[in-house]
Amino acid sequence: MATTTIQDRTRWDTLHKNGPFPLKFFLTTKLEKNSSGLNDFEKYNDAAAEIQKLIKQAADSHQRFRAIGSKWSMSNIAHAEDRMHFNSFMNLKFPIFEGEMHEDSTYEHSNLFLFQCGNQIKEISRFLERRGKSLKTSGASNGQTIAGCISTGVHGSTIDVGSVQDYVVGLNLIVGPRPKDVIYLERASKPALRDTYIQNFQARIIRDDDTFNAALVGLGSMGFIHGVVIEAENLYLLHRFVKKIDKARALELADTLDFSGFDPQIPGADFNGVRPFHYKVFTNPYSDEDKYPVEFIYKIKYYENYKADFGNPIPFQKEFVYLDLIYLFIKIAEKLPKSIPKLINLLKSSILPKEEKTTVGKLSEIFWDAGYQGRAFACSFGVDHTHSSKALELLAKLTRDNPVPGIFAMRFIKKSEATLAFSRFPFTCMVEIDGIQWSDKEKIISLQEYSKKMIEVLKDNNIPFTIHWGKNAAWDFPGLVEHMFGEDVKKWKKVREELLTVPMQEVFSAPFLDTTKLSEPLPNTEDLIV
Amino acid sequence: MRGFKLALCFGIFLLMSSCYSIRFQVDNGQWEPADTEREDAYAGYNVHTLDTVVSRKLTTGDHYFNISDCPSGALHTVEYRSSFGGILLNAITFGRKKKVKIKYVCIKENSM
Repeated sequence: MATTTIQDRTRWDTLHKNGPFPLKFFLTTKLEKNSSGLNDFEKYNDAAAEIQKLIKQAADSHQRFRAIGSKWSMSNIAHAEDRMHFNSFMNLKFPIFEGEMHEDSTYEHSNLFLFQCGNQIKEISRFLERRGKSLKTSGASNGQTIAGCISTGVHGSTIDVGSVQDYVVGLNLIVGPRPKDVIYLERASKPALRDTYIQNFQARIIRDDDTFNAALVGLGSMGFIHGVVIEAENLYLLHRFVKKIDKARALELADTLDFSGFDPQIPGADFNGVRPFHYKVFTNPYSDEDKYPVEFIYKIKYYENYKADFGNPIPFQKEFVYLDLIYLFIKIAEKLPKSIPKLINLLKSSILPKEEKTTVGKLSEIFWDAGYQGRAFACSFGVDHTHSSKALELLAKLTRDNPVPGIFAMRFIKKSEATLAFSRFPFTCMVEIDGIQWSDKEKIISLQEYSKKMIEVLKDNNIPFTIHWGKNAAWDFPGLVEHMFGEDVKKWKKVREELLTVPMQEVFSAPFLDTTKLSEPLPNTEDLIV
Repeated sequence: MRGFKLALCFGIFLLMSSCYSIRFQVDNGQWEPADTEREDAYAGYNVHTLDTVVSRKLTTGDHYFNISDCPSGALHTVEYRSSFGGILLNAITFGRKKKVKIKYVCIKENSM
């Protein structure tokens, strides 16, 4: 049997210490041992039964229950005050074989895999690479769980691919304690798995585009995501190069995403006029430099011997800025906010990417382990890419007027079909500021006030925007979610109310949902026109 | 006096530099996770610590420690720490006692 340990806790915190938040119980489920003799399907179903038992316990106690993965989100989206479930040890992996495909499926079976919720990006990549496959994209690093990634919309800067949820083709949800509460969900327009295969998971099948798209970015509140079917692709290599280019040119490329007349002039390679796989612009808001460091990554064909040509993309020796030094800088900044620009400029060689030689590697090698694990904040706004430079200018000016210890970057992602995806523009530019946390008690503007001003400045300038669900924001800003998503909020709530019974809607709610009003029921479902 | 100050500075430098840690890790393995409140490079990692003093006999050569708390049977990270106290202990016992402080992180089970 899968086993769950339940710890009494008083608090819980995110990886980057954006809390702490109050908590009663912390639950960790581990799978039945390999020596049990159970096959993987039996272990998976055994784990599902365990999760249903835990959901029932929470419901019987009138408590909330929330699954968490690697807790990389900086907002409180992963937090629930009663019971939090650490699912990282639930990491079974299933390749899909030809006879397991739906008869109308257009997918190549060898590209499909079912991963249990707790599989982390790094182990998924390792598993896929041994089969000659790769994820289509990931975030900037590799520690998130697959369920955590899709619940919050984790993205990279892959212009023509999208976010992690955009290559998900099936979801196994547990929405309650009853047998019929184990659901397998996929799009009716793009079915993937054969019914007889899904029966291995004792799941009720729902094929519906709207339901699937709403559940895809479910904010941890569409039930317990037990399994995720993803579409991978054949291994490929990424050719990474960082160089400084004229600020005006970098911003023009951001606003147009038209690379047809642009030559990045990368030594030893010809990418003249080629649209990159990944385009990222870094800017220090406190610098007047007329050039921006820009990261260009191009996709090239995989070959075995690439390390002989380009060296190992993963450094043999890693060095980090002394953590206490960073914290010392923040202490100074808290007392003397005017020193922030100088401090950021002092640290810029450590926090901005350096112009360096070409790096070539697999996706998992280019977006490798995260370096900094200490206290951090990040605010990330999605705007239509045609508004990139304007949004950056407004937010950077706001930051110069109200200095905070961070630098900006812009990343670009293709539109998602998920109902509440923040990548909702044809191409979304994520304008983000990342930095080190400071104390709200000191002289610097508070993070809450700063992020509120960010919302106001975009609204005042009529720039439609979204906010990354996993990042810091003034989430209690009145009408924020409706402003960002309009009628899609009702669509999302409607699906949630269809999938979850009323008691289960409360079990799978959380403070983040309360703050954003997403846990509030629709006024009268019958009157809704969505 | 100047010579004494120089010697003192040199001694302090030796003391400082004798305290260090070296970390080895595999670059392609999934670390075993843990929900902790650590803020260092091990945040999110399940870290095991071995902190002991090894007594060496005249006839004893190398020491082996069996790690039996890695369900995956594989290691992700090993960190060896050297401290001035450890070096001093080794020196004053003429090499008979050796302080061993190791941190290690296992590979996550079923991740390979």
